[in-house]
Amino acid sequence: MNPYVLFFLLFGLGLGTTTTFASSHWLLAWMGLEINTLAILPLMTQDHHPRAVEAATKYFLTQATAAAMILFGSTTNAWLTGQWDIQQAIHPLPATMVMLGLALKIGLAPMHSWLPEVLQGLNLTTGLILSTWQKLAPFALLLQFQTTSTSLLIALGLASTLIGGWGGLNQTQLRKILAYSSIAHLGWMALILPFFPSLTLLTLIMYLIMTLSMFLAFKLNKSTNINTLALSWAKTPALTALAPLMLLSLGGLPPLTGFMPKWLILQELTKQELAPAATMAALTALLSLYFYLRLSYAMTLTTSPNNTAGITPWRLPSTQSTLPLAIAATTSLLLLPLTPAMTALLKL
Amino acid sequence: MTYMMLLCLVGLVAGLISVASNPSPFFAALGLVVAAGMGCGVLAGHGGSFLSLVLFLIYLGGMLVVFAYSAALAAEPYPEGWGNRYVAVLVVAYVVSVGVAFWMFRGEWYEFSWVPVNELSEFSVIWGDTGGVALMYSSGSSMLVISVWVLLLTLFVVLELTRGLSRGALRAV
Repeated sequence: MNPYVLFFLLFGLGLGTTTTFASSHWLLAWMGLEINTLAILPLMTQDHHPRAVEAATKYFLTQATAAAMILFGSTTNAWLTGQWDIQQAIHPLPATMVMLGLALKIGLAPMHSWLPEVLQGLNLTTGLILSTWQKLAPFALLLQFQTTSTSLLIALGLASTLIGGWGGLNQTQLRKILAYSSIAHLGWMALILPFFPSLTLLTLIMYLIMTLSMFLAFKLNKSTNINTLALSWAKTPALTALAPLMLLSLGGLPPLTGFMPKWLILQELTKQELAPAATMAALTALLSLYFYLRLSYAMTLTTSPNNTAGITPWRLPSTQSTLPLAIAATTSLLLLPLTPAMTALLKL
Repeated sequence: MTYMMLLCLVGLVAGLISVASNPSPFFAALGLVVAAGMGCGVLAGHGGSFLSLVLFLIYLGGMLVVFAYSAALAAEPYPEGWGNRYVAVLVVAYVVSVGVAFWMFRGEWYEFSWVPVNELSEFSVIWGDTGGVALMYSSGSSMLVISVWVLLLTLFVVLELTRGLSRGALRAV
């Protein structure tokens, strides 16, 4: 791809998210979402093979449908209430439409099935953009607009955590596993959204950091399925030793960063007297934990038989930049002691 | 006038049903043209004649491209008509669902009309929709700049997706 065109597209990605962040008007927010969708399509088909084109087509169709639903909901809202403002109270009917449109856009559970299919067709860098940067704009809208109905979000959230854990169980492809992990994490965010939006923001940031480190680690290993993951100890021994901790942090085990959002969400749900929902979410997190554990088992906890020539690649310096991975991995392992500071900083 | 509006509204719904029910791109494009024309008729009937003219021209241009593209992509010798069993079942299903939706929401939120724009037209020099165009170019100029930028971006996106011989993205594999 021509570097000028690449710059133009990356600028479009930035512009779309910034437009949605800055807008208080539904039409402008919708425009930002559309710019985002359009700008990533050529990046998806960058390595031009049929699977990538298929993924781009699927992504375009779902995102166009979601954006059309959001636009239809917001025009209906303008028709009924006479204003376009995002932060003003919204009529319940368009509120549900916009909510479902945004859920389709980020891939919450009943509308989730495009996400693993699309992510599987992309290379790891574009997949990283898709599962981190592309979530920001819809979440900015979800955090801003006022809803009165909590049951829809709770249902979406519980279904997402369940299906995100369940769907990932039998996968051997890393990108699909990461997609299901994304669905499960987004479910936790949707679950707490009606009660404590700052916690949603905190969970989103933590999820972005952890998934960034996982994508970068897989990219350094050039591995896209579990089999190639088993050879990573010969390529990068130190990273391979840390990878199970990063995976368990995604799963939400206590001394690691990933425990923080789950802990705070469960506590808040219990305070809202939603103990059944909290129990349900915690139990479905076990399903996710199972496949994270299986990944770490294949990657680190076993050593396959090998010859001496096969274990030399770690001596060669890597051509990829490792600084972002180092920062992301450190953050995704060691942030739990900063929980009070994080909760104090992220007040909405 | 009421009969004309009734014709336009029924034609709009019928056009949308024909788009949704027929699998053949030829008839779907035809249904889209009918729906667009009838929708513009509704707009013109409510006083938005300039708006409906602009919309119809843009739709017509888009429809030409869509029709040419779908005819080139899927040239079927025997496309399915609306009388075929499979399509007719879909048509009946959509008509029934429109009827059910009408019956459920009757007398509620949709029964407004496009009154507020021309409510005080007796006292105004400018007609509602032409005034809207002027407002769009004066107050909404920064929005227009963003829209132009988006169109430029779309041009690059489409070029990247479809350029060259082997790089056609929308191609029957």
